[in-house]
Amino acid sequence: MAKKLGKKARKFARKNLQSAAKRNRKIRNQFNNRRPRRGGSGAREDGDEDVPQRVDDATMATNDTADALIDGLEFPEDDIEIDADLSDSDGYLSEDPGCPYYSDSEDGDDVKGSIMQDGLDRQNDDMNLDVEKQKRKLKKLLDKDPEFANFLEKWQSELESYRSKEDSDEEDGMDSMDDDDDSNDANSPNTKILTTKTISEWCQLVSKDPKSPALRNLLNAFRDACRYGVHSDSPSMQRFQSTRLFYQIISFVLSESDNIFRALLEISDDANKGQIMNLRNSKKWQPVDPLLKSYLRNSLDLLSQLTDNRILSFVLTRLRASVVLFSAYPSTSSRLLKILFRLWASGDQSLSLSAFLMIREVAALLPDCLDLCLTKAYNTYLASTKLVNDRNTKHIDFLMNCLVELYSLDVQKSCERAVTSVGQLNAILRQASKTKEKEDLRKIDNWQYINCVNLWVRFLCCNYKDYNLNPLFSQVLQVIRGVAHLFPGTRYLPLRLKLVQMLNELSTCSQMFFPIPSLLFDCLEFREVSQKEQTQKTKVNFSSLLKVPKNLLKSRDFQEECVLSAIQVLSAHFAQWSYHVSFPEVATIPLILLKRLHEQTTIESLHRPVKRLIDQVNENKDFIERKREVVSFSPNDKASVDSFLQEEKSSGNASFTRFYASIVENRQPRGRKTL
Amino acid sequence: MGKRSGSKRKDKNKVILPPELPPEVDDDAVDVSDEDIEFYSRNEFHHFDQEPIDRYVKRTAGDEAEVERLYEEREKRKALRRPREENDDLEVDPVDALPIKNLQGELVYNRAKKARSEENTGSTKSQENGADAKQGINKDEQTGKSKNKKGGDKVKNTQSHIEVPKGKLHSDVLEEVKEELSAEELFEKKKAQLAELGMAMLEEPESNIRSLNDMLSISNDKDQKVVKLGLMSLLAVFKDIIPSYRIRQLTEKELAVEVSKEVKKTRYYEYTLIRCYKAYLQKLISLEKQPHFYSVAVRCMCALLDTAPHFNFRESLLASVAKNLSSSDDVVRKMCCETIRSIFINEGKHRGEATIEAVRLIADHVKLNDCQLHPDSIEVFLSLRFDEDLGEDETEEQKVKPKKNKHRQNREAPKPLPVSDKKKTRQELISKAREEVDADLRAVSFTLDPKERKGIQRETLSALFETYFRILKHSMSTSNLRSKANIVSPGASHPLLAPCLEGLGKFSHLIDLDFMGELIACLKKLSGYSDRQDGTPHDNTLSVSERMQCCIVAFKVWRSNLEALNVDLQDFFVQLYNLILEYRPDRDRGEVLADALKTLLWEGKQQDMLRAAAFIKRLATFALSFGSAEAIAALVTLKHLLQKNSKCRNMLENDSGGGSLSCLVAKYNPEAKDPYLSGGLASVLWELSLLEKHYDISVSSMASNILSMATLNPTQNPVPILNVNPLEAYRDLSIERELSKTASKALSLNLKKRRRGKEFVALNPEVLRKADCSVDKEELEEKLQSHFAVLRGISENERLRAQLNHTLSSINIYKEYKKQKKKNMKSKIIRKKVARV
Repeated sequence: MAKKLGKKARKFARKNLQSAAKRNRKIRNQFNNRRPRRGGSGAREDGDEDVPQRVDDATMATNDTADALIDGLEFPEDDIEIDADLSDSDGYLSEDPGCPYYSDSEDGDDVKGSIMQDGLDRQNDDMNLDVEKQKRKLKKLLDKDPEFANFLEKWQSELESYRSKEDSDEEDGMDSMDDDDDSNDANSPNTKILTTKTISEWCQLVSKDPKSPALRNLLNAFRDACRYGVHSDSPSMQRFQSTRLFYQIISFVLSESDNIFRALLEISDDANKGQIMNLRNSKKWQPVDPLLKSYLRNSLDLLSQLTDNRILSFVLTRLRASVVLFSAYPSTSSRLLKILFRLWASGDQSLSLSAFLMIREVAALLPDCLDLCLTKAYNTYLASTKLVNDRNTKHIDFLMNCLVELYSLDVQKSCERAVTSVGQLNAILRQASKTKEKEDLRKIDNWQYINCVNLWVRFLCCNYKDYNLNPLFSQVLQVIRGVAHLFPGTRYLPLRLKLVQMLNELSTCSQMFFPIPSLLFDCLEFREVSQKEQTQKTKVNFSSLLKVPKNLLKSRDFQEECVLSAIQVLSAHFAQWSYHVSFPEVATIPLILLKRLHEQTTIESLHRPVKRLIDQVNENKDFIERKREVVSFSPNDKASVDSFLQEEKSSGNASFTRFYASIVENRQPRGRKTL
Repeated sequence: MGKRSGSKRKDKNKVILPPELPPEVDDDAVDVSDEDIEFYSRNEFHHFDQEPIDRYVKRTAGDEAEVERLYEEREKRKALRRPREENDDLEVDPVDALPIKNLQGELVYNRAKKARSEENTGSTKSQENGADAKQGINKDEQTGKSKNKKGGDKVKNTQSHIEVPKGKLHSDVLEEVKEELSAEELFEKKKAQLAELGMAMLEEPESNIRSLNDMLSISNDKDQKVVKLGLMSLLAVFKDIIPSYRIRQLTEKELAVEVSKEVKKTRYYEYTLIRCYKAYLQKLISLEKQPHFYSVAVRCMCALLDTAPHFNFRESLLASVAKNLSSSDDVVRKMCCETIRSIFINEGKHRGEATIEAVRLIADHVKLNDCQLHPDSIEVFLSLRFDEDLGEDETEEQKVKPKKNKHRQNREAPKPLPVSDKKKTRQELISKAREEVDADLRAVSFTLDPKERKGIQRETLSALFETYFRILKHSMSTSNLRSKANIVSPGASHPLLAPCLEGLGKFSHLIDLDFMGELIACLKKLSGYSDRQDGTPHDNTLSVSERMQCCIVAFKVWRSNLEALNVDLQDFFVQLYNLILEYRPDRDRGEVLADALKTLLWEGKQQDMLRAAAFIKRLATFALSFGSAEAIAALVTLKHLLQKNSKCRNMLENDSGGGSLSCLVAKYNPEAKDPYLSGGLASVLWELSLLEKHYDISVSSMASNILSMATLNPTQNPVPILNVNPLEAYRDLSIERELSKTASKALSLNLKKRRRGKEFVALNPEVLRKADCSVDKEELEEKLQSHFAVLRGISENERLRAQLNHTLSSINIYKEYKKQKKKNMKSKIIRKKVARV
């Protein structure tokens, strides 16, 4: 009977606890005033710190496979389990009893004073009162009937044993982390209350001599700080009585430990993995190993606990110095990567950047992790480019650049991946061009596909000069041409403009000639504009569009944006060949169209930019014609053709070059990414 | 149906001599229906109007013997019918058979008599309710009866209906059964029945021919699914049993002659077949108007026409199929096109008669719809085949005939010729038929003698060109009308023009020389239409592709007539010269452009030097602005021009002095409209130097190949690298071709292993700098502290909650404790009591 009741009570408690936790999370999020982030919120649950994140990752993995089924774009990702060395106990370090502990009389009420008065505290106070009341009631009962005390005791012990049994049952299936913690609890780590004075003392000791035993204490304190709040009932919670203390420990350990460990291991700043591996077998390593492990693991705990972007990027910046130390613990580093990629994909700019710098550091210093990094980065990129809107274009661009950075670290290796990925793109394209079915076309007409193409274009641009990437180059080119061919028509002009931009990039890096104007004629074609006045100004931003909505097709804004974008890409094309001997011929046909457009267009705002381009092109044309009239070489004289006007080109003073620079500048404020 | 006969009558009225081309068959058909007329006139049916017309037509045919024969026949039938009616009386009590189901509410007497006619017309309101239940019984009886029937007796086929009333004897029982049968069961049953009948038919068509009637009546069912099934199974049966000859109406003489049993049987078989076939066709034609049955009906008709173009009633099938050539339903249209194509291709099946009919029908159709049809309806003409020597023979014959006459025939009155020809054919056929009564022998006539064949082909050709010319004229007149009207999307206003021009190109060698001049003038006008109006090409309603096609056709016509024609084609060059600039890759068809380059420039002999130079320069410029496929087509042409016109090779060299030839127009004007005035010869082909950097390897190598010509002397040609014409070159490089090629094998990248240093390649240094600014200390402290506070708040909250719960449950436990205590007390008391006791 009692057992049953206990079960009920437990259920009840769990329910309440959960809802409370939920509420708390909500409050916390409001408090932190930021978007909830994937996986970031779940890490605080009682007793299952790692589980929600794991689940999250699992769902992400299934999403990935689902997407892979749809798109076939992602790289297969073998989920490396990170349990491997989580089971080795590394949490608590035995302390040297000789280290001083100071009483905390001076900052006793600091606790109450410094805590901000928020909703949670008020709730806690209420609850406190409630508890008091109920306790009094119980006391009365106990007083009334002393026999009841015995009964209650018996019941409680029964409940206790039952619960522990159940817990152990449950925990079998749970994360090993819990076992770990339990065993630590069983070890009964130091529960002495910490004070600011103690910490300051330790800090001083450690700063003076890294080998000081105080380091152990400090790291233990750091451990407890990092796990603060994970187990609400763990005794280590009690060690922190002040917020200042918490800050003190964390900031000191983070900022100093890299130096300390390097001093302990006697390694230089530019140590690489090999050195660390060698060190591992040396004598020096043995005493440091548990300390280092504890530090790294707890920093990771801290990373997965924190929610504030600024602190996160601070921690990342600090931790970046010790990346090479991770190489000793492969499973820890893979866990690190998981956290890093989550942070990298998050929208915050500085956090993303610091996460990326860390990733790059990991990829560069730990060759084992490179593969994992490439795969994860690529998949994360694809997952976060599914949706593009006005707000995240910059972020996606940033992600893309990061990815190119990462892939440029080891071109040999990443080229294999690039070939696979481009092969997938090509296969999708072929399928679509064969069937021409909506289903297949939609696989191309989406951001993931286009961003993927853009990624490889960027990759090629960065590495074309240093490596022979010709086969990949032609494949990418074929994909671009194929996509442009498959989606003709006005509706797909934004997509087309993107492709043209890519071609421009490729052309610039490879110095090959691409007949870009043929893809732009649609933009320069005069079209009728609906005469009815638009009630509100609809903003057409091509950078976040692939397909123009039907209702905008005839709108003035669309036309305007069309022509302006075309002018931009066209002038990029002209600018590239503006010193070439056949520039007049390059410009001939586009000029005819531009003139026609200038005559016909009814949109006043377009007259000026179009006229300006015409004038500039004409001027440059005359300039080249004048110059080439006086030369004596023929078109088949390659060397002379190549050297024609090279001086002028390097000085970059021609009017068209300046004109192009001004166009690029003008477009920048409009939020458009320029080449 | 009514329409058809109407048009037929119109034909008759026009022409004084009325005999029809395939008169026998029609006679046969009419004969049957003529007999029906009696019933028709008595009972009002909607097909009423057709029959008198047929009869009228027949009478006017003026075959008096026929009329007499008809009367005779009617007498005979009446005689035959009498015993049958008696039979009815014997078998069925009319009162029993009286009630229900007849929608007209007529008496059963009437019904019994007219049953046959109902069936014939296929408009029978069949005995829907529980029809199959009865049918099941009927069938048994039928098979029993059929064993003792008299072979070849026409009365026989009414038996099924005689039995209908008999079935009604059990009507009470059947009604109950019927109630129980759900719709699905009915459907299943009918399906099974259809299958059974069909199988029987296929096994032994001779003896089971009457089952056709049953199948027809099933396909009159209310259930649409059943109707569809019925139609399809009838189609399958007909496809199988239709003989390879046309069933001919028996002449009076033949009827008069006593024939053997065998012959009688055959005659009866043929008669039934033709009657059912007609009923089936009428049903199809009427169902075609219902949207639900549309595609099924058309499918059936197409299949029938495909398998049996030689058989009776081909005309009505053809009419329907031709009408549906421009259907808005894609599937139906495809089907019809395929059918018509197969008729054109397999002329052996029908001796070419169906071809001419189809072509004429389409021609009429185009005329009626004012050229606003789907392009497919004209595109089928491309499958037509003509003998190569046809055109020559024609011209020979032409010499005999006065030219003016021929002209008239072709342009305005293409009809008289066919009619007179029809007559000829008919006479031949009649004479043959008189000699060979046997059907087997008739098959011999299926091979046409060359003269006849030529006649038919000539007619087809004239109808074909009539259509083509009509479309051309129409395009011209409408272009005039809406020259300044709203801008229509290109190609939409003249849907038929593109296939028409294609057809003209294909059959250009067959066009009569007399029209050549006019045709060329017409094409000239069409190709350069816009320029006459004003300078802007946007007002042109013809698309660039269409205009280029006009140029192509003009050259094809000119060339296929051995260039004998003395016409000035200069204008077409000017047009092409300007059209090159108007070309847009996705809007216009690149193949047409490549074809134009091929036809006008690549295939031609030596060109005028100025013109060649102008084209060379323009093509080079063109190659700079367009995709690789277009560029290669242009370059192939350019190279060819340079090879043919060695003097133009000057353009490859930057001769600062300027050649003596360039003095005509000193400076090159890229926007000139006239190639002669562009001054192309004065220009230098600088484009090629840039084209050498083209991303496409074939384009760049072609460019360098051309450039290498500069150093060769005029008679030498560079090593040929691409021996194809512009069209092939275009196709080879088009992106579709590239994508349809199997994916190239896995790329093997040969990279020198080189690890890059730590420098950044893609990220903006500015962005990177931002990362290094460390977080402000105070801010960090504050944030960390608040983080801590929140964490503590949460844990505190959790702790308190646990405590609270614990206390509460302890209090709750008290109740439990009380209860137990009471129990203990009781038991104690009891124990005490027990102890006391």
